[in-house]
Amino acid sequence: MTNEQMTSSETESTDEHEHGREQQTAPTPGSGLTDDADGGGTRSETERTVLEARNLDVFYGDEQALRDVDIDIPENRVTAVIGPSGCGKSTFLRSINRMNDLVDTCRVDGKLAFDGKNVYDEDVDPVALRRKIGMVFQSPNPFPKSIRDNVAYGLEVQGIDDNVDEAVEQALKRAALWDEVKDQLDESGLELSGGQQQRLCIARAIATDPEVILMDEPASALDPVATSKIEDLIEDLAEEYTVVIVTHNMQQAARISDKTAVFLTGGELVEFGETNQIFENPDHDRVEDYITGKFG
Amino acid sequence: MARQSYQEQLTELREDVLYMSEVVMERLRMGLDALEQKDVELAEEVIEGDGEVNRMYLDLEQDCIDLLALQQPVASDLRFIAASFKIITDLERIGDLATNLGEYTIDAERDLFPDVDVQEMGTLTLQMIEDAMIAYDTEDVDFCYELADRDDDLDHFAERASEIVVRDLIERELESPDEVEYLLQDVSRLLLTIRDLERVGDHAVNIAARTLYMVENDDELIY
Repeated sequence: MTNEQMTSSETESTDEHEHGREQQTAPTPGSGLTDDADGGGTRSETERTVLEARNLDVFYGDEQALRDVDIDIPENRVTAVIGPSGCGKSTFLRSINRMNDLVDTCRVDGKLAFDGKNVYDEDVDPVALRRKIGMVFQSPNPFPKSIRDNVAYGLEVQGIDDNVDEAVEQALKRAALWDEVKDQLDESGLELSGGQQQRLCIARAIATDPEVILMDEPASALDPVATSKIEDLIEDLAEEYTVVIVTHNMQQAARISDKTAVFLTGGELVEFGETNQIFENPDHDRVEDYITGKFG
Repeated sequence: MARQSYQEQLTELREDVLYMSEVVMERLRMGLDALEQKDVELAEEVIEGDGEVNRMYLDLEQDCIDLLALQQPVASDLRFIAASFKIITDLERIGDLATNLGEYTIDAERDLFPDVDVQEMGTLTLQMIEDAMIAYDTEDVDFCYELADRDDDLDHFAERASEIVVRDLIERELESPDEVEYLLQDVSRLLLTIRDLERVGDHAVNIAARTLYMVENDDELIY
């Protein structure tokens, strides 16, 4: 997605929809990262930063919820955000697609760039932004509409009215729900099980052709089998999308993420690294104490 | 502190591994004594005691598997359990080597070569195990490196001892054809003893290597 797309909400076309993925291969302006032409580098050297925070502070009234956060979230990988209650992990997630705009007392300082463009710039349309940075919440929240209409809504907001059925099928397939619902597309989304409802919400988010999918505790209300399905799905989604997931379940973070960010009390990002490094040998004693359960 | 019972289980694992090492060292001491004193009864006690070491090993292995499966340990806890899991294998092998000494004692019909000090070599290896376990218990990284160096000394000792045996074999004047048979038995038994003690030293170094990994996430000494 280009910056023009993010700032003009009514100009999406099917043409951009089809070719949108290719645009992501271009290096981020000013990111200092370029494609490794000889292919000799590791993934971490060649990966492109999609989301970049610099000196990010978030306040709710007088209370500081995030403190001087710097992070580079790479494309097409799963980044888990963990930390104790009240550490600011959900605040961080919500600051990415400006969900915090809905909180009157919220103030954001510093930079949070999506594809190099600060999402808090005045010319950014938050509604267009949220189409490119979709969100899935803790409790599944399908609309009280048919399964088909739940997904078609995502297409509608993009102005897509051709081949809707095909697009609905594609989104449901990507959300690993198609086989379970293909014969009941006209039934209410609320009739589905909790796990299916959550995958329906993921399908709805996918239908707007996002680049990033934010997930806030997406499996915490689900049983182990439904959780496993969501976890499998998250890994699959990372092939096409950049996934950022907040979870209080450290084992879940360890299972499904490529990178892990650890926030600790006070809204401080204490450590960010490859997930195996964080869980096998974290650099910071405070992270060690938190993940081993010695505090928090 | 959160996860109280989990922390207690980790402490218990450490204590159990240390206890297993005490038992194994005692078996090795008994094996060396049996060999020196040609004490067949003591040798049999060492051999019979190996079952107890094997049971300890299996119990501790299960404890490690349970901790991994049920507690999902991470970071230093994970490395501690992974290291303990490997260290108990080394201890079990040292137990097997102590049993070998018991068997050599029972097989031996004559005195071993007087020029080779098996006791001294045994004392060196016992000290190495003891120090490796202190390093594990106290998480002493310097001790780990020092042990790796001491293993080189033990290897030289084993090399020199083997040379003495072989040289003696070559230079010895045989009094009767029967003596060849006895001599060969003595020589092979002594060479096996030297080799086994040298391997005990290797296991002590393995313990130090896993301890270094446990403390510093450093695999430098593992190979």
